[in-house]
Amino acid sequence: MSDPSPWAIEAEGLGKKYRRGWALRDCSFRLGAGHICALVGPNGAGKSTFLGSATRLVQPTTGSLRLFGVPVSDPAVLERVAFLAQDKPLYPRFTVAETLRLGRELNPRWDQALAERIVRAGNVPLTARIGTLSGGQRTRVAFALAFGKRPDLLLLDEPMSDLDPLARHEMSGLLMAEAAEHGTTVLMSSHMLSEMEDMCDYLLVLAEGRLRMAGGTDELVPAHTLVTGVAAGDGVPEELTRRHTVVESRVTGRQFTALIRPGGPLSDSWEAQSPSMEEVLLAYLRSPEAPTMIADEARLDGPRAAAA
Amino acid sequence: MSGTTQAASPSRTERAVAPDGGSAASGARRELLHKLPWLVWRRHRAALRLGLLITVVACAVFAYQRMGIMDFLGGRSAPDLDGQQAEEFQNRFNSTFKFDLAFLTFLPGIVGVFLGAPLIAGEQEHGTLKLVTTQSASRARWITATLVLPLAVVVVCTTLLSVVFHWMWAPAHEIAAFGDWLDSGIFESTGPVLPARTLLFTVCGIAIGMLAKRVVTAMAVTAVFAAVFSVIWAAKVRHQLGTLRDSVYPYDGDGPDLPPGSIRIDDWLSTAGGDLFGISTCNDDETGACRAKLGIVNRVTQYFDYGQMTGMQWLGAGILLALTVAALAFVIWRARRRPL
Repeated sequence: MSDPSPWAIEAEGLGKKYRRGWALRDCSFRLGAGHICALVGPNGAGKSTFLGSATRLVQPTTGSLRLFGVPVSDPAVLERVAFLAQDKPLYPRFTVAETLRLGRELNPRWDQALAERIVRAGNVPLTARIGTLSGGQRTRVAFALAFGKRPDLLLLDEPMSDLDPLARHEMSGLLMAEAAEHGTTVLMSSHMLSEMEDMCDYLLVLAEGRLRMAGGTDELVPAHTLVTGVAAGDGVPEELTRRHTVVESRVTGRQFTALIRPGGPLSDSWEAQSPSMEEVLLAYLRSPEAPTMIADEARLDGPRAAAA
Repeated sequence: MSGTTQAASPSRTERAVAPDGGSAASGARRELLHKLPWLVWRRHRAALRLGLLITVVACAVFAYQRMGIMDFLGGRSAPDLDGQQAEEFQNRFNSTFKFDLAFLTFLPGIVGVFLGAPLIAGEQEHGTLKLVTTQSASRARWITATLVLPLAVVVVCTTLLSVVFHWMWAPAHEIAAFGDWLDSGIFESTGPVLPARTLLFTVCGIAIGMLAKRVVTAMAVTAVFAAVFSVIWAAKVRHQLGTLRDSVYPYDGDGPDLPPGSIRIDDWLSTAGGDLFGISTCNDDETGACRAKLGIVNRVTQYFDYGQMTGMQWLGAGILLALTVAALAFVIWRARRRPL
């Protein structure tokens, strides 16, 4: 893509305060174009707030957010970003064809053939009213509307949550195929950790409104080790805390298990395993006090070489 | 995945024909509106079409009723009618005017409740606001299209209704609704007042809907607002729109001699110098001593002349439009500034 900015998203000190407190605080990272990125976090972690500020539905209290180098406050970003909200709002009285016409009328980069292909592949009749469609069919139309816009960045808020396993599988396939074909950057929030592992190559983890982890999965996941050993009393053995960063630890009977970020070689008394992405994510979600990990490529002040 | 695609492909060719054929047939009509105006029309087309239809039907009915009135008058002007003819006019046309005036008096509130209140509240309640405001059109353009198209239809329809009703009522204005052009509803149903009143209730409905974010709540609040506003308007505002004229005549003389079509508002007693006393002053005065003591020599009748009606209507419409502009500014300001 002939784009001046290689960064799909650059957030700097992004924060949103509601009357009841901060929903998102001091969020700084960047996401390179072309990634499929998972946005993970428990309910109320700030995922929807972040997606809202990227789609101009939420006005950030602090900080700045740029999409492809353009500040999000500039209406020009709308053309390049598509958003699929969690409840997939569509006009229930519109037919499928009228819904696609909505996309055509409101988006200069609209790709009618692509949108119709997505709809037809699911055997959704163009003359049917949206209100009469099943959940899976509605989601497919919403996907068609999002993809037909030909966005450079596709933001999805729990896109698969209300789908049956079959439709979910189909939609993931569609998403991956379309994103790969058009080089679309995708950022999706989800609770389906195992599915994320198959689809995503980049991770953003939010908890309690703060960014806990950001970076490529190929960098973040191998940076962790799952260690097992004999429990020696309560608490984490000093040997681990001295040289390594302990994310989460657990004692089961006489067995001690911990997920650590090794700071050097491990002693032989520990049995080390490579964790799956799901195991790493769960560990971070369970331990809000664990140290934050932002990979170099996700840092705003990261190596300039990568940007050039 | 591939199995599904295979199964779908035979029917794909058949389907491709149907929508193209469909859009070609209606293509000519659809060329009229594009982009956001198309979306706004499509979203509200049932309500807007109904509004246009009702306008056309009502105008036709008014024209038909005018034919009846002109037939009855047969070239005479209304003040020339004698008592019996005037009574016959009331027998034949009073219910007609009552019905027409009820329709035109309630119309603004109905438009406010059924078009204004759900206009943005509906999008907020169903989440479709998130859909339209994340397409490529900016929020400013969205709110402009959302407001301009329905309000333009409102202005066109109500102006037409006002003009046609005025055309029907004017030949008989001295006797229609017993000649009361001020408080019978005619004041609100003709001239610029009908469009202004409808615009105000519609825009206030939109603003209320924007704050309530729920269609049913917004409709209920708008209905209450329209009712309360109308009561206050009738009680406090309408009679202040013009300056009362005085007709002075001797206490024991004949009078008052009011111009045709004028509305009698109040009666007073007055001194030669023009000091006013309530009509019941010196009620029990048989000898005239009480009046003599106060210097009461005249009676005064205060009235609005028919010639004042147009000026009063424009002043009233000006007030209504000023309120409309304020409400509209609030709606636009909020829509642009606040993520809804």
